[in-house]
Amino acid sequence: MPLVSTNRLHKFFGKNHVLRGIKLDVEEGEVVTIVGRSGSGKSTLLRTLNGLESIDDGIIEVDGAKLEVDCADAASLRALRLKVGMVFQQFNLFPHLSAGQNVMLAPQVVKGAAKNETEDIARRMLERVGLSEKFDAFPDQLSGGQQQRVAIARALAMSPKVLLCDEITSALDPELVNEVLGVVRQLASEGMTLIMVTHEMRFAREVSDKLVFMHEGKIHESGDPQAMFAKPETPEFASFIGSLN
Amino acid sequence: MMSFSLWDIVRNLLIGGALTLLLSLVAFVLGGATGLLVLLARIGKWRAPRALAQMHIELFQGTPLLLQLFTLFFGLSLFGLDVPAWLAAGLGLTLFTSAFLAEIWRGCVEAVPRGQWEASSCLAMTYWEQMRHVILPQAMRMSIAPTVGFAVQVVKGTAVTSIIGFAELTKTGSMIANATYQPFLVYSLVALGYFILCYPLSHYAKSLERKLHAAR
Repeated sequence: MPLVSTNRLHKFFGKNHVLRGIKLDVEEGEVVTIVGRSGSGKSTLLRTLNGLESIDDGIIEVDGAKLEVDCADAASLRALRLKVGMVFQQFNLFPHLSAGQNVMLAPQVVKGAAKNETEDIARRMLERVGLSEKFDAFPDQLSGGQQQRVAIARALAMSPKVLLCDEITSALDPELVNEVLGVVRQLASEGMTLIMVTHEMRFAREVSDKLVFMHEGKIHESGDPQAMFAKPETPEFASFIGSLN
Repeated sequence: MMSFSLWDIVRNLLIGGALTLLLSLVAFVLGGATGLLVLLARIGKWRAPRALAQMHIELFQGTPLLLQLFTLFFGLSLFGLDVPAWLAAGLGLTLFTSAFLAEIWRGCVEAVPRGQWEASSCLAMTYWEQMRHVILPQAMRMSIAPTVGFAVQVVKGTAVTSIIGFAELTKTGSMIANATYQPFLVYSLVALGYFILCYPLSHYAKSLERKLHAAR
């Protein structure tokens, strides 16, 4: 039984059919990278997995939490989001809260945990991303890379079953990319289930168990990243890799 | 003929000025509280309160304050309700203030980037949890400067209540001008009175704007 599974997933933006029947299974501990040209639907697919985008048909199931078209009520959305963490391209830290408070907020508010308990969690999570000394710093006092690591800590503090990473290094200066990728690599090695959209192909090849190539709203080709890069099966994927170099 | 010293004039204007200040404070505090409720209804998910809030805002933004006061003062007495001038003035300005503040604050809430909603949604927060812990704190920070700026409008707006006979600064001034036959002197002092009340506010609003912008 896969940890994350979607079936017959369809999504329209107006008349634009962006997801055309996605079937994706992700096993526990698996690292899956979704690649594709812009407009292929990869970010949309990621965002449907925690209900940030509604779906027009199909089913999403994460560790028993189900989301279907006709029963996407607040309770099932919440149940899903408790299992799925997300990190964004633009970090989206809460600017009025310190790094520590950013991490503490959701466990406190959503799970109703006591303050000393959440502070404990926050310190552990910030340590995990190598920022234990930045507990009291505000987002605008941190570099982009540090902000993104706080955002990862914030997502981890809710102990999600799977973490979605939406182009999390795309807004970073080149010299800051590696510190964030380092954290992701470490999470992968610790057995965290990850689904990411990224343009860092070398990184994707290195850490992914499975590569998913999206083309025109469909999963066009998927499999072992080494094998796919060595011998693309479809001309579209071949031309996609070709355009990277 | 009676003669009035400058001190007589100033003394009476000070009393009127105190009432202007009091009325402004009442309007601002009660209008702020009402405005917050109107805001929450206006941006909330429930349709009926949203429509009601929208109507409230359009009604009080779309009609002159003077006519709102007339309606309250004369209109309610048609129904046998004897509305004293101070009550009509306080109520009218409160409603007027609430409509404008609700709209100013709505702008601030909508100026909070969408990513803040998304990030807090992903953490499984409910709408009210997002509002309370993520959106409103940021909107409040943005709203301070325009809110203080609007307070200046409220202070000046109180002058209109002189028409229904509330003896604030302007009404006091017109009574003194009639008695002393020195309208230029008296009205100049009245204007000075408003300036003394408003200048610190607008100055404060400007410095807040600078400070909060620099922090961004």
